Amino acid sequence: MVAILKQGAVLVVCVQSALNDRDLIELKDDLSDRVGRFRSRGVVIDISALDIVDSFAARTLRDISHMTRLRGAITFVVGIVPDVAFAMVELGLTLDGVDTALDLEDGLVQLAERAATNNNG
Amino acid sequence: MGLNNFPEASAYLRLEDEDVDRRKMFVNLQSEDLLHIAVIKDVVGAHANELADEFFEFLSTLPETSLLFQEYGQLDEVKRLKRAHILAMVAGKYDREYVEQRVRLGLIYGKAGVAVRAFLGAFCRLMTSIGSLIAEFFHDDPRETFTHFASLEKLAFFDIGIICDVLIETRERVIAIEHTVTPVLQVRDSLLILPIVGVIDSLRAKQLTDTLLRAIRENRAKVVIIDITGVAAVDSRVANHIIQTVAASRLMGARVIVTGLSADVAQSIVTLGIDLGALHTVGDLEGGLEEAERLLGYTMIRSSSSSIER
Repeated sequence: MVAILKQGAVLVVCVQSALNDRDLIELKDDLSDRVGRFRSRGVVIDISALDIVDSFAARTLRDISHMTRLRGAITFVVGIVPDVAFAMVELGLTLDGVDTALDLEDGLVQLAERAATNNNG
Repeated sequence: MGLNNFPEASAYLRLEDEDVDRRKMFVNLQSEDLLHIAVIKDVVGAHANELADEFFEFLSTLPETSLLFQEYGQLDEVKRLKRAHILAMVAGKYDREYVEQRVRLGLIYGKAGVAVRAFLGAFCRLMTSIGSLIAEFFHDDPRETFTHFASLEKLAFFDIGIICDVLIETRERVIAIEHTVTPVLQVRDSLLILPIVGVIDSLRAKQLTDTLLRAIRENRAKVVIIDITGVAAVDSRVANHIIQTVAASRLMGARVIVTGLSADVAQSIVTLGIDLGALHTVGDLEGGLEEAERLLGYTMIRSSSSSIER
């Protein structure tokens, strides 16, 4: 259902099918563990396979983002398709404070840019 | 979508006294009809609640009318208006105000997308029910029943004429909006401009957002400029639509710059107390472009050799 791939300092999370609340909690715990274990600097969560993002999923994504930031990794949520984006906004789930990008490729590019500015600054 | 933000009923139909009289002429509504209706006033009035309930009970079973019942709180309001309608039908006063009430009800049906055939069906059933009440009242005397029912029927057709006009007009407006094309223009790699001209209502706002989100995906846009110079008025609903579009674009990884808020619009937004703090606004399109180019890392340089003399 969820594949977590380690690619250098980045963890790529591919959500492949709909997730229920328990899957989401598992994902959160798993990620928080792996970010520490692999000393990752970035996480990209690709949710393009999701047709629905409900309030719990949105909250979990936000929690993951905040939590990984505390552990030193930036999280990008990528792959939200137009219909899902529109539905989320109508439900008031705007993922404030979470970095978003168009797709996996874009997310990885932005992570690299962010890492570069952090190193320079 | 509340029921209070209707455009003026008169904006939909011409409601001068002479127009009302003309409509009466169409159905041949005469003064003796008013006398007939006065006779059956009480018997119909006493059953107004049941008749209205029956009317909507039938409508609610149809997929053609589901929108009417989806919107929260809408049904109670419509039922109330329908009850008022049945009471007004037999009250004997068919003036401009009566017509305006009909238009109001018609607008609700129109907005909810009630199909004309479904509405006519429900109205036909309503008239049948009223007919049997009248027959009962005259102890099944066919002559009396017919005369009185015929008078009421004229009025029913008078009402149907109004409501059908409203439904047709609403449909035409929807079509007009559907044909209003708002282009999404790509000006630089990953920079889009969405110029909005005209009126933004819920339907158009949804369409705009939809087009924009798809364009963001297709063009892999990073920055979007929404220019609202051509939007006549910005009220809280329009502002909300813009805020939603911005939030949805952000979810797709694009930043939105809103430009073209005129002094009047800015004033009215402040007066209305709408919080646009979450929006990135720039005065005009030129400024918006500069800001977007800055975000994307472009620098514009004017070359010294220009083909146009200045």
